[in-house]
Amino acid sequence: MAISLVSTQRISAFTGGKHDCKRCRVHSNGRTPETYLPETTGAGCAFLDYDNDGWMDIYLVNSGPCDFFQPKTPLRNALYKNNRDGTFTDVTEKAGVSGNAYGMGVAVGDYDGDGFPDIYVTQYPHSVLYHNNGDGTFTDVTAKAGVAAPGWGTSAVWFDYDNDGALDLFVCRFVDFSKAKNKFCGNLKTGERWYCIPSVYDPMPCWLFHNNGDGTFTDVSKQSGIASVKGKAWGAVACDVNNDGLMDIFVANDTVANFLYINRGKGKFDEAGLLAGVAYSAYGRPRSGMGVDAADFNQDGWMDLFVANVDQEMFSLYQNNKDETFRDVAIATGIGSATRLLSGWGLKFFDYDNDGELDLLLCNGHPDDHVDARVGGVTYLEPMLLFRNTAKGLKNVSGESGDIFRKSLAARGMALGDFDNDGSVDVLIATNNGAPVLLRNNAGKENHWLGVQLIGKKSNADAIGARVTYQAGNLMRRRVKVGGGSYLSSHDPRIVLGLGKRETIDWLEVKWPLPGGGTQHFRDLPIDRYITIVEGEEKWK
Amino acid sequence: MKLKPTLSLFVFCFAIGPASMAQKPTEPSNVNLKAVQQGIALSEQGRCGEALSLLRKFASVGQSNKDVKLRAGLATVRCAMTMDRADVAVDAIRILTRDFPADPDVLYATVHAYSDLSTRASLALVRVAPSSYQARQLNAESLEAQGRWDDAANEYRAILKQDPKLAGMHFRIGRCILSKEETSTTSADAKKEFEAELKIDPNNAGAEYILGELAQHASDWGGAIEHFGRAAKLSPGFAEAQLGLGMALIATNKFDQAVAPLEAYTKIQPGNPAGHYQLMMAYSRTGRKEDAAREAALQRQTAEKLEQEKQRNRGVEPSQPPTP
Repeated sequence: MAISLVSTQRISAFTGGKHDCKRCRVHSNGRTPETYLPETTGAGCAFLDYDNDGWMDIYLVNSGPCDFFQPKTPLRNALYKNNRDGTFTDVTEKAGVSGNAYGMGVAVGDYDGDGFPDIYVTQYPHSVLYHNNGDGTFTDVTAKAGVAAPGWGTSAVWFDYDNDGALDLFVCRFVDFSKAKNKFCGNLKTGERWYCIPSVYDPMPCWLFHNNGDGTFTDVSKQSGIASVKGKAWGAVACDVNNDGLMDIFVANDTVANFLYINRGKGKFDEAGLLAGVAYSAYGRPRSGMGVDAADFNQDGWMDLFVANVDQEMFSLYQNNKDETFRDVAIATGIGSATRLLSGWGLKFFDYDNDGELDLLLCNGHPDDHVDARVGGVTYLEPMLLFRNTAKGLKNVSGESGDIFRKSLAARGMALGDFDNDGSVDVLIATNNGAPVLLRNNAGKENHWLGVQLIGKKSNADAIGARVTYQAGNLMRRRVKVGGGSYLSSHDPRIVLGLGKRETIDWLEVKWPLPGGGTQHFRDLPIDRYITIVEGEEKWK
Repeated sequence: MKLKPTLSLFVFCFAIGPASMAQKPTEPSNVNLKAVQQGIALSEQGRCGEALSLLRKFASVGQSNKDVKLRAGLATVRCAMTMDRADVAVDAIRILTRDFPADPDVLYATVHAYSDLSTRASLALVRVAPSSYQARQLNAESLEAQGRWDDAANEYRAILKQDPKLAGMHFRIGRCILSKEETSTTSADAKKEFEAELKIDPNNAGAEYILGELAQHASDWGGAIEHFGRAAKLSPGFAEAQLGLGMALIATNKFDQAVAPLEAYTKIQPGNPAGHYQLMMAYSRTGRKEDAAREAALQRQTAEKLEQEKQRNRGVEPSQPPTP
């Protein structure tokens, strides 16, 4: 079935919305009177090119059968093939990627380096790995791979922690939850229930699976130090925060301290969030971390971190002090006051207008669907926020970026991807118990750009951790390819380099992650199109 | 302009009662008890003038006649307010709140009595000194309580026209500016007022503190250190100023200097995780690992305790649902 997800209007920075998605698969949370916490927290979404035709396809996660939910009609995840005309076709049944439990998130990565992206779906009470067969179908290889990760899986990240050239898998785990362990939260007099604050549940450790390079993985959660601490993890992003060539991982936890796992090499991580200043608020209180991202937003050569929290807490923008510590600059940048009453999930730094600066999109929605009646000034449905990076600071441009920013959503997952290949990175938002929202980006077309697909050979196939530096006239910028980021979601693997009005790009340099580790320079580059750079090959394609 | 007095100001004034009220009550004679009961009866008939003279010994009614004592105390408050005898009413409230602190009737009578006293005092102020700065200040405070920030600020400005050197007015104008919805000029406008306040009253630690906060929000760490430092020096017991100073010093990597104000803060506010968290950072970055570990543990304990309190206040403590 062909479906139209977007409007073709070109009037604002972003266009599109729920009204354009009447026939697409709707997320069903299976809300019950018992208010099981997973109901209000999903789901994720992804942009991926599953058939390698050069066009971004879409994957949407849905809930499904488990101990607390038996859907009356079958529910499944959905893979939509891009028809290259603004419409998509549901190919889930043929592809065999329906999911088999209560779906939460998705992480896409070519873990076996065969050139085709594979799909890991986090679920409750166990997750699933779909290997891409390269012919439009997938095979459930969870058991063989050993990555079922029993428990309540949330966000997952593919990254190469030991620099052996194969993508490893980090899986966030939320609390110790089951139908039998569900707690009553609500009004004891009336019996009215609402979704519990996660502090009432016990924390659990996250998972780290080492890729053995033969289609199997080894659970190294304990020996790596990842499981040495227990959290309530929603979001995760992998990046190198101390520029030592090893990928670290930042995890947003809900009602307990966030984790910053610093990779010390030899397969060991130190959890250093407390000393790094990213575990708690400046006032020593844990916040409700949900969505996360990492980017060098101020272009000082060091990765900064972002965490979305729940209302009253403000979101956090942690600027890297270049010594494994960070400073929260949310208030100074205006992020703090803009997010005081919001609860954030999907979020990402990206250059939406292709001017060369990293902007920030935040997707929001309160987890408690009764909050409107209980807390003044806070609503269940919340608007998105868009901050434009002016190179001097972040400016809230939500009000001038399209009608969609005046709508309120129960946004959860959010993925970035250029589905129409026009160089303007578009946005896909998964809403809780509702239709997804696909936004066409109109702003990036006002400027020039170069899209780059990196393919690792010695390095991991997805080039996670690669650094791309480019010069266009007086503009020199650097982009880093992080693993994961946002919430329960996975993104277009291509990097779009914004040039502003500059009509040529002077040079481009790729610093490949280890074990490749080489640096390649390119000149005579085109603009306003996508190119592919393969590690070790002198000429781009 | 209509006056709406602020209750809290008067509560503060009336919280200090005559020392005689603190004396241990003695068991009354039968004669006294009988007189008190007669006073209650007269008060119920609305004969407050006669009732008050009989009720004046109600404080000495003993525990064996608690009900009589409670009723007599309430009658005293009611009649004293009717007869415009604020002193008697306040004395009676002191005894009632001491002996019956959780009694709903006592709490209700207390609210009404203080509210009435507050109204009467403000009306008296307007009557006897309508153009005094005290009357205008009361009016401005009332406007603040209503959230009418611009009106309140204008009233404070009018006071300054009368007396440009009056301390506290610029501070209050600055507070009104900060209370309004934020605009691009909020910080700058407020800053001017607090700076003007300090020219009049260089010892205003509150103005220094808010200037420190404004500097901190603008990431002007030098300014934050300067202002928080002066606030802490002016008032060493000003916990938030010590914390602000410590945080600003940490933000500028002056970890060794941050230790002293943060230690001062944790002594004043041992139950607040903020101080332990920041002090942990300072110790850790100055090589005091054991001290840092201790503070980290205290930070976790205090944060957990506050989280539990927060949950209780929200009424979301997990428990069994009511049985149908």
